[in-house]
Amino acid sequence: MTEATAITEAIVTGILLGGLYAVIALGLNLIFGIIRVINFAHGSIMVIFMYLGFWLWYLLGIDPYVGMLIVVPIAFGFGYGVQHVFIRPMFMREKSYVVEPLGVLLLMAGFDMVISNSALQAFGARVWYVYGSAFMGTVHVGFLTMSKQRLVVVLVVVLLTVGIHWLLNHTNLGNRIRAVGQNREAAAICGINVHHIYALTFGLGCAVTAVGGCAALPFMPITPFAGMGLALRAFVVVILGGLGSIPGALLAGIIIGVMEIVGAHFTNSSIGSIIVFAIFLVIIVSRPKGLMGTIEV
Amino acid sequence: MKQDSGIRALGERLRTRQIPLGWVIIAVVLILLIIVPFAWKGNPYYVHIVITIFIWGYMATAWGLVGQSGQLSFGHAAFMGIGAYTTGILYSQFGVTPWLGVFPAVGLATLGGVIIGIPTLRLRGVYFALATFAFGFIILMTVKNATYIGPVYIGGGAFLSLPRAGEAPAVFQFESKTPYYFMALAMLAGIVYLSHWFNRSRMGFYWTAIRGDQDAAESLGINAAKYRIRAMLISCALTGLGGAFFMQYFRFFSPQKVLDVSQSIQIALIGIVGGWQSVFGPMIGGFIMVPAAELLRLNLRAFPALSPIIYGIILMLFILFMPKGVNEPFMRGLNWLDRKYWRPSQNANNENNEKVGRQ
Repeated sequence: MTEATAITEAIVTGILLGGLYAVIALGLNLIFGIIRVINFAHGSIMVIFMYLGFWLWYLLGIDPYVGMLIVVPIAFGFGYGVQHVFIRPMFMREKSYVVEPLGVLLLMAGFDMVISNSALQAFGARVWYVYGSAFMGTVHVGFLTMSKQRLVVVLVVVLLTVGIHWLLNHTNLGNRIRAVGQNREAAAICGINVHHIYALTFGLGCAVTAVGGCAALPFMPITPFAGMGLALRAFVVVILGGLGSIPGALLAGIIIGVMEIVGAHFTNSSIGSIIVFAIFLVIIVSRPKGLMGTIEV
Repeated sequence: MKQDSGIRALGERLRTRQIPLGWVIIAVVLILLIIVPFAWKGNPYYVHIVITIFIWGYMATAWGLVGQSGQLSFGHAAFMGIGAYTTGILYSQFGVTPWLGVFPAVGLATLGGVIIGIPTLRLRGVYFALATFAFGFIILMTVKNATYIGPVYIGGGAFLSLPRAGEAPAVFQFESKTPYYFMALAMLAGIVYLSHWFNRSRMGFYWTAIRGDQDAAESLGINAAKYRIRAMLISCALTGLGGAFFMQYFRFFSPQKVLDVSQSIQIALIGIVGGWQSVFGPMIGGFIMVPAAELLRLNLRAFPALSPIIYGIILMLFILFMPKGVNEPFMRGLNWLDRKYWRPSQNANNENNEKVGRQ
């Protein structure tokens, strides 16, 4: 195999991996861009719903792709509840001009500890994985070999990106969500129920993440702490793509995935992940609003 | 009122209750803590726990300096780990005594603060918290995965230990726990005093103004980024120093022990339970959380995942219901006792009353 072929393969693998990062980053970016909350528990929330999808498959034999139909509404309700019960009091307490209460960051870090360790306590540290779902096998395009299941994730993330973009920009609900994201005082004056919109957004973010988790389930083994590494990369993706930019998350997810795999191709896999975080620092220094971001900092 | 500073004058001022209750309590606690290692001579385990309290109280106070300027660091374990690894490796591989090794340790920890702080503290909002988290993660991943950095062996995630030298003050190793105890006590007392001093300095007032309302502070001509960066650098240097001591006391180190994300969260948790924007809060947090953690560890051996769950719940409860930590009710109670019983006659125009209460 020539070097050019190897690099092409690395790039394609990177794009497939980037699809996974992008789908996690999408939910995070919705929450980050609208509520201005860093959801530190995002990875753990995804893992919880992956467990749910797994048990549906394990106990009832429901294929993870079908199980989404059950998992995603539950995830939406869960997110709505978390925002309503835990985060809303923080916003009610803060002064009106505090847009990014740092306390919420800590709150979500605590929440992350609670749910990831609860998962550890309940399911143990062993690795669970789904085998024998739909879309097994590989696709051959020229000299390239791609996993069908990973291609499905990329397809899902593209569809989700288009869907959320449409929701935010072409519906009444989307207008309200964006209004709250831009200026919550002004939105409240216009008669929008800010906290309801916040909770809807958080629920939507969790639902998107659950879709990603279920789509990744057939090839990603589950452990209680599997979400942390993914969520960390998702933070990088969100910052690189730009706060609140939905297409940015997709673009940045793919860039990060390619960087990581190509970096790992030339060095080793741990250097690959270090490169990702080095990019994060460079972006923060040189262009904090990200590639496609609109929010000035 | 006598102005000469003899013991008799001090006794006289104490008798006439001219000294604020806060200072009296600090003095009593210090005396008790000095007695502890002699009273518990047969119980090195208790002494060890108190040393651990001092170390974590120190770390949390150093971390709290960043909090005083209104920002939140999620990666302080990185600076602690840099300090620990630097002195540890210098001693075990190059034979440099920790008394000298502490200088590069502090220097490198400060350099880490420069790399993270200078770009991100110019921005508002959450970037700093995210960047410190990312920095902690980079350092952790690097140390976990690299066996050598240049000619220096860093173990690639393995446990490294210091060669034992017996009773050797020249390389900071002692047989008994007492010297470590007094060193840790001195460091804790020193950093709390330093934090108090900063809080009373011009820079401390700037910090308070910036964390209260950055726009208002900047409109008065305060360079918010500059003072935040200073807070960060001071905090990093002191955390590196603490890491060096941590290393010398425990004598072995691994990424899990000094660099892990959970250690960063441990530091932050102690600071938050105590009160993350206050001077005395993080130290009080150490006195509460370290024994609590030890009790949890001893009683919940069968359920190792349960104690982080409880930590998480404690963190959430404090953020939701007591965001200023135990420091605030503690100080209010102290102030009330002072006014009501200790110095009832002179509360009207005594500014010290307010000083104690405001922290």
